Parts: sequence; C-alpha cells; structure tokens
Amino acid sequence: MKDSPAKTGTPRGLKFFYYLFLGILSIFGAVVIVQRLVIGMKVTALSSTIAWGMWVAFYIYFIGLSAGSFLLSTLIYVFGMKRLEKVGRMALVSALFALFGGLGFIWMDLGHPWRFWRIFYNWNYTSVLAWESLFYVFYILVIMGELWFLMREDFSRLSQEKTGGLGWLYRVLAFGVQTPSAEEEEKKLHQNSMKWVRILGIVGIPLAIGVHGGTGAIFAVVGARPYWFSGLFPIIFLVSALVSGAALMTFLYAFFGQRDEDHPSIVQEMAKLMVLFIFIDLLLLFAEYLVGWYSGIPTHAKIYHIIMFGPFPYTFWLGQVLMGMLIPILLALLPFTRKNVYFLGLAGLSAVIGIVAVRLNLVIPAYILPVLKGLDTAYYDKRWTYSYFPSYMEWATSIGLIAIVVLLFSVACEILPLFPWKTKEN
Amino acid sequence: MNEQENTKAESRREFLGKAMLAALGTAFLAGQVEAKASEAAPKEDFEVPEGDEHLIRMQRELKEALKKPAKERRWVMVIDLRKCVGCHACTISCIAENKLPPGVVYRPVIEEEVGSYPNVSMRFLPRPCMQCDNPPCTPVCPVHATWKDEEDGIVHIDYNKCIGCRYCITACPYGARSFDFGENYSDQTPKTSEYEEAPSFDWGKKWERKNGDSPIGNARKCHFCIHRVKEGMLPACTTTCIGHATYFGDANNPKSLVAELIGKPNVMVLKEELGTHPRVYYLV
Repeated sequence: MKDSPAKTGTPRGLKFFYYLFLGILSIFGAVVIVQRLVIGMKVTALSSTIAWGMWVAFYIYFIGLSAGSFLLSTLIYVFGMKRLEKVGRMALVSALFALFGGLGFIWMDLGHPWRFWRIFYNWNYTSVLAWESLFYVFYILVIMGELWFLMREDFSRLSQEKTGGLGWLYRVLAFGVQTPSAEEEEKKLHQNSMKWVRILGIVGIPLAIGVHGGTGAIFAVVGARPYWFSGLFPIIFLVSALVSGAALMTFLYAFFGQRDEDHPSIVQEMAKLMVLFIFIDLLLLFAEYLVGWYSGIPTHAKIYHIIMFGPFPYTFWLGQVLMGMLIPILLALLPFTRKNVYFLGLAGLSAVIGIVAVRLNLVIPAYILPVLKGLDTAYYDKRWTYSYFPSYMEWATSIGLIAIVVLLFSVACEILPLFPWKTKEN
Repeated sequence: MNEQENTKAESRREFLGKAMLAALGTAFLAGQVEAKASEAAPKEDFEVPEGDEHLIRMQRELKEALKKPAKERRWVMVIDLRKCVGCHACTISCIAENKLPPGVVYRPVIEEEVGSYPNVSMRFLPRPCMQCDNPPCTPVCPVHATWKDEEDGIVHIDYNKCIGCRYCITACPYGARSFDFGENYSDQTPKTSEYEEAPSFDWGKKWERKNGDSPIGNARKCHFCIHRVKEGMLPACTTTCIGHATYFGDANNPKSLVAELIGKPNVMVLKEELGTHPRVYYLV
C-alpha cells in the first residue's frame, strides 16, 4: 500500500516536554480531584447564594467546544464542504473529548457525585437538565459511531501493519471489519462508510443543537434570573459554541494539521468561518445587551453594568472582547496576518481562551444581585455572600481536569488515524 | 377605653406567662421526642388551655386541623410586617430547631431602612420558604428529589435522592433554598460541639450530619416545621415570635385565625407577578 500519512512536524524533544508537562499536571489534577471528592463541596468558594461558579462555567465551555466542533464536522460530512474534509476527523475527536471534559466538570460540581446515575434512574421529564443528560449520552454514541465509520477502513489497514499492543488495539477498534483487496469492493465499503457517516451526521445535527442550545436553555428557563431569562440566550450559547468550535479547529489545524499543499487554504477557510461566527455572536450579544440595558429595570440592566464595570471588568474587556473577538477578527482580516497560518492559528487560540471569559460571564453575574432586595444583608455568613472568586481548589481541579482532557485528547490524536489514509478523489 | 386597655395589658401579661410555659413545654417535648426517637412513644395528647391569645388559638386550631383528612388542610403562614420588630428570634429558633450549619438558613429576616431623617423607620421582612402552589424550583430538579406534596402541600426535598446540582437554588425566585456545604460552626476548634452533632428532623426523618452523608451536599430549605406540625406543635418560628408577627394554620378552616387574616385587603404575597402562588402571606 501507500506510505502512511505524513506526520506532523513536531520535533521529538518538544513532544517529550509537552507530554511530561501534561503528565505532571494530570497527576496533580487527579490528586486534587480525589481531594475534592473526599472533602466535599466545602473546598469551593461557592455559597448558598452564588450556587454555580467556575466549574459550571467550564462545563458549558467544554460542551460548547464539543457542539461547535461537531457542527463544524457536519458542514463537511452532511453539507459536503469537501475543502475542509481533512479537518473532519479532528473535529469529531475534539468534540468527543471536549464533551468528556464538560461532563467531568459538571460531575465534579455535584454535591453528591456518586449519585449521578439517579439522573437516568429517577429521570424527571420537566427538567431541562435531565433532558440534557439524555442528549449527552446519545450525542456521545453518535460521535463514536461516526468516528468508527470514518476510521474503520484505516483501523483494519493499521491492524495489519502494526504489531504488538497497537496492532491489537486497532484490531479491536476495527470490530472485525476487513478491507477487501479488490479495488471495486474497497470503494464499495468506503461508500457504505460515508453513507453511515452522513446519516449519523444528520442525526447529530439536532442532537448537537439540543446539546448546546439545550445547555443554554438550562439557564434561559430560569424565570427567577432576568439576566438568563430570554429566548435569545440558548441561541447565544449555540453561536458562541460555533465560534469556539471553529476557533479550536483553526488553532489545531494550523499547528497540528496535515502539512500539505491544502494546509494554508484549509486554515484560512476555517478562520473565515470563525470570523463569520464571531460577527453573528457580536450581533446577538449587542441585541441582548441593548434590550436588557435599555429598559433600565434594575434586576436586568444592573447585571450588564456589573459585567462591564463591576468587580471583574477584565473578564469582559480583556477576555470576552479583546481575546474572544478583537484579536481573532484583526488577525484573520489584517492583510499582513491573514495569509499566515500561524497568525491564524493564534487567532483561533485567542478566541478559544476568550470564550472562557464568555462562559464565566454567562453564569456568575446572574447570582451577583440578590433575588430579593436586602437578602444580601439579611444574614451574615461566609456561605451567604454575594461576591465570588474561585477558591484555590477550584482553580487546581479545573487546571488539573483540563490537563487530563488535553492529555487524553493528545494521546487519542496520536493513536487514531486522524487524517484519511490517502486523500480520496470524488 | 382605659379599662379595655387594662384588660388587654392583663391578658398580654397572662399570655406571656403562658407563652413561656408553652415554650418550655415545647422545648421539653422536643427533647422528649429526640430522646425517644427510636421507640414509638405514645403521643401525648396535651390539653390546650382556654382563651383567645394568638398562640393558644392557633394551637387549638392546629389540633382541630389535624383531625381532618390531610388533603383537606391548607397550611399557610401569615407574617404581619407591622408587628415584626426585627429581633431575628425566628431565624435563630429555626437554626436551633433544625440544627442548621453555616450557610444554611431557612428564614432570614431582611432589614430595610425606609425614608430619610427625621421620617425614617425600619422595615423587616422575614423570608421563610413560600411553599408555592406553583413552585419554580420543583420542575427543574433532574431527579424528582423535590416536589409539591399532594398531601401536606409543602414543597418537599428528599435529601437521599438529591444529587446536589443546585439547579433548584438557582430557580427559586425568593432565594429560599440554601446548600449544605458540610461545614460546622466549630470547625477549626478542638472539638465539634454537641449541638452540631445532634440529629435534625427535617421532613420528619432523622438526619445525622456525618461523613458527608445527606443532608450534607444537598439543597435544604424551610419545611414549615412539618415534623412539629404533624405532632400538633406550631412551627418554631411561630412560637418564638415575640411580636406576634408570625401566624400559622389551616386556611381551609374559614374560622381559623390565618383565614381571618388573609381575608383582608392589606394582604400581599412576594413577587405575585411570577404566578408562583405562595403560601406565605404578608400583612402590610
């Protein structure tokens, strides 16, 4: 057969330090997560009044990354954007691991993590959160199914080529699929695979919209919090998910994609998509802020004031606006940076980090104003406060869990055939 | 006029004495209930004294209501904001009754300054759980751990089912739910105080806060002291209110004190526009 796909050009030494760094962080993460599970929720800086904090922000961040990456892959496999085909598998793999990250964060956030199974056992159909949990499960299955159909031919080839543990792993992953030797049949198998990928992709579109739009709905249905209580809220979640997905793919493909003649054009295409989504996001954000602010109703308008000029203005101005919007837009549009894949990759990275600020600002400000006037001074207790800054343990577990997810994702990217065996025509 | 005042004062004095006795009695009874929690102690059918004092009357009406089938009762709380002096006795008695840890408070009292000097006064607003007839907190629970009980009309929480996601805390428009972080007031002192190790009886069940077990890691809230009410005792906040500002009873009994009080134009509920239909009424 042909040569195996061109490996990315990362030097060996750099890779070693990358894995060493991630490995150390992951072990640290595992330790602090166990600590969190043993000690309980008192390790957080949360209170009875600010009930959701950084972990929930990271939960919606990762769910957003996942839904965004997945929807991007459907552009390729369902809507036939052939130019981006080489990004497809990477998008699906990151969708899968980002989802694991999101679920890890929300699991860690439960007061009784070991009772999570009750969501399925005592499933309550009136709860958006319960629906979401179902969505996540089906969504994982669809992503895994799609990945398998995409990769099964490569698994079977790799299982013949590799020996030892890896060969065994590929044999298991191939599930008994064998690439026929005849070219005619090989083509047939491939067509069958792509048919299934397309079907699963179609099923996945409403699922992915449900996964992140629904995650937005978890917040939007809460009538008690005017900041969230709007029909636009789930849509903002979706669009910012698309931003983060496109940004992540731009970054990953710019730095770790397949270096061939298509590489620059693919990265540029992704960056354009990202900018398009950022502009839609900006429009929605403007609509939401304008309507909320214009009325001047304190429970709604004050929150925007708090976000922009409150205790953490940098989250909004530096995170959400500068890193999440301005830098990516400028790098992707300025004439001397827009052709350079590395600048575009950095634009993606900037947006990926900036979206963290977006997520923090979607969750926490809703709690800053007491639901009843004067409730903030009605009782004095450190768990009855209206200010929040994540505790050391919240930072540590968050960094640790992110390191674990990135490590698993990186290993998966090393093992899985991320790019098609040979670029197929037609 | 004067005579009337005198009799009023007299009866007030008389009442205070009775209230002291009642309070002592309840404390004693509570102690008894705790001591004999394991045995099925025969329920003591105590005599309610004659008289029209609020506590006595509510106590008598409570006993009458308990004779009715559960579904025909409608427990409501009425709080007279004109009488509330902001002493926080209800907050404290609730914490004592339910052995609430740091961060968990079922009935804080909101204090607000009204007007400007020299026309200035304080307004106090005790805030228990509203026990809404259309609660926004129950449908959001992913695991059916909280519900509007058909029998007693209280918004219940099953601590053993609750996974601690805190969605209900987020959804309550009154901030009536709090989270048990598993802390103790005596943390970082050499010894956990005894009162913190004593079990609580939320929802009529015995709860020991140990080793991260429920109710640690759960959403917790006011339950109208339903464990007391079932035994014929008024909620702790009601019996300890020094200003007679808190009333409790069965609004389905048209002759009851609470029914009398909420049938007046000076009654209001919090955030009526949300359609939650609270069972806590305020007199203004």
